[in-house]
Amino acid sequence: MIQVEDVTKRYGEQRAVASLSFHVADGEILGLIGPNGAGKTTTIRILCGVVKPNSGKVRVAGYDPGERGDEVRSRIGVLTETAALYPNLSGIENLRFFAKLYGADDPDRPDESIEEFGLGEHKNRKAGTYSTGMKKRLGLAKALLHKPSILLLDEPTSGLDPAGIAMVLEEIERLSKEKGVTVVLCSHVLHQLETVCRSYVIIDRGQALAQGTVRELAESHPGPCIVEVDTDYALEGNAHCGVPARRLPTGHIQFILSSRDKVPRLIRELSQNASVYSVALKGEDLQSVYFRLTEGAHDE
Amino acid sequence: MMNRRAIIAIARKDIRSITANIQVWLPMFMVPIIFSVLLPIIVAFSARASQGDIVSDMQIILDMLEKLPESSLRRIVGSLRTDQQKIAYIMFNYFMSPFFLMIPLMAASTVSIDSFVGEKERGTLEGLLLASVNMRSIFTAKVLAAFLPAIGVSLVSFVLFGVCANVSAWPLFGKIFFPHINWAPLVLLVMPAVSLFAILINVFISARVSTFQAGYQLGALLVLPLLAVMIGQFTGFMLLDTGILLAIGAILVSVDYALLRIIVRRLDRAWLFESQVR
Repeated sequence: MIQVEDVTKRYGEQRAVASLSFHVADGEILGLIGPNGAGKTTTIRILCGVVKPNSGKVRVAGYDPGERGDEVRSRIGVLTETAALYPNLSGIENLRFFAKLYGADDPDRPDESIEEFGLGEHKNRKAGTYSTGMKKRLGLAKALLHKPSILLLDEPTSGLDPAGIAMVLEEIERLSKEKGVTVVLCSHVLHQLETVCRSYVIIDRGQALAQGTVRELAESHPGPCIVEVDTDYALEGNAHCGVPARRLPTGHIQFILSSRDKVPRLIRELSQNASVYSVALKGEDLQSVYFRLTEGAHDE
Repeated sequence: MMNRRAIIAIARKDIRSITANIQVWLPMFMVPIIFSVLLPIIVAFSARASQGDIVSDMQIILDMLEKLPESSLRRIVGSLRTDQQKIAYIMFNYFMSPFFLMIPLMAASTVSIDSFVGEKERGTLEGLLLASVNMRSIFTAKVLAAFLPAIGVSLVSFVLFGVCANVSAWPLFGKIFFPHINWAPLVLLVMPAVSLFAILINVFISARVSTFQAGYQLGALLVLPLLAVMIGQFTGFMLLDTGILLAIGAILVSVDYALLRIIVRRLDRAWLFESQVR
């Protein structure tokens, strides 16, 4: 559905994207993650055809966004960081306006959309008076007006309260599962991404450092295995049987092992001396892999 | 291909943003309308009260008229019986003409300068450019949003001006004396063509400047050609025959068309986005 091959984009002397390559399959939810200034927003803009790359090949739904931008834009829904709403128009007026721009023919669609995102009560209020979270939800409703087959979402949960975050993430998952919508999701909140994304592209200084599922990324970029154990074991010092360990503010004990193969033995030993209530592998979650990759790239 | 639905939606949204903001529409609508009411009353009363020095000052203009080529305006003025009638006729039908080129410029400038740079400053340009609406349609909508209110305000001002002129100068003429036939090509052709020219330039400026203030400063330069027209009044611009005014209007329309084609060809979405959206 989306193909990016060896794409480079410069703004004057500044290189925003450098030899970036990745792909997104039909119906996939892909997390595009990286630090600030990594090139995520520029990448989204290139996919929309509003920023032209200096070199490389881009295909979205089979079209080159630089050449056939309107075809691409008619198939994608975009949520930008600011939501780009008209402050002097009410919520519903914003949606009615964009419905006409997007060619969403169903006259009931704006009302359905605003209700769907829980803004029915506030639909006649000017969008300029909305809270950040409400603007974000209205922005999402706007992006979905024309029932796009591809969604490009830049920080879709920023400014939302926990209930709003859950609602947005559920909606993304539903669209992917039920409608087969392809989603590219940029976010800094990695643990939120883990609940919806099937694979990730980690991008830094405009380059893709790696692409794959968390498991694939962890295997291709192995690091120390961090285990957090909820136990009543009385830890003395900074090690247990030669394994570096420390008590966390949560009361759990964190162990750093050289590989995940050593986890069963550690848990067996602990269980013999104390009660073990829960075990969590931390070195192989998205955040750990992300930091290993980005820190590794910086060291180089 | 033009996206008519999007054009209407964008133009309507822009026009609504004018009417929703009193600071924008009050000077835009009220100043020309007040001028259209007050100015003819002041001019008519001045003409009716004119005697001695004023009449002798106006004699210079009456003499100038005599030297100009044959025209219907010259013939009508020549046939009037009193100096007061001649003064009133010349003031209303001759000296006021640049005013009606100025009104659409004033009415259109705020909206046309705001067209792109205003969207940029409010953070909404990104949303507009991310829609699947081609640049030609977006540009057309922006031009229409400035052109329609400007022409509307100008025509309403012209009608008000005509009514006030005929009513306040009724004691002098005892009949409807305004407008002279030359106003027809001026109001129906030259005025829209001049305002379209200004709007095209302003919208183009708006797509290139970084702030509304900068655009407004640049757009203000468009008044300079109008000053030239005002100076040209003394060379007899409005004394030209209707046919020549029609020709001037046609030339202006051709210039607008050429300008429109050049601007539309040069408007590039990616360029606009990269230069205006951060």
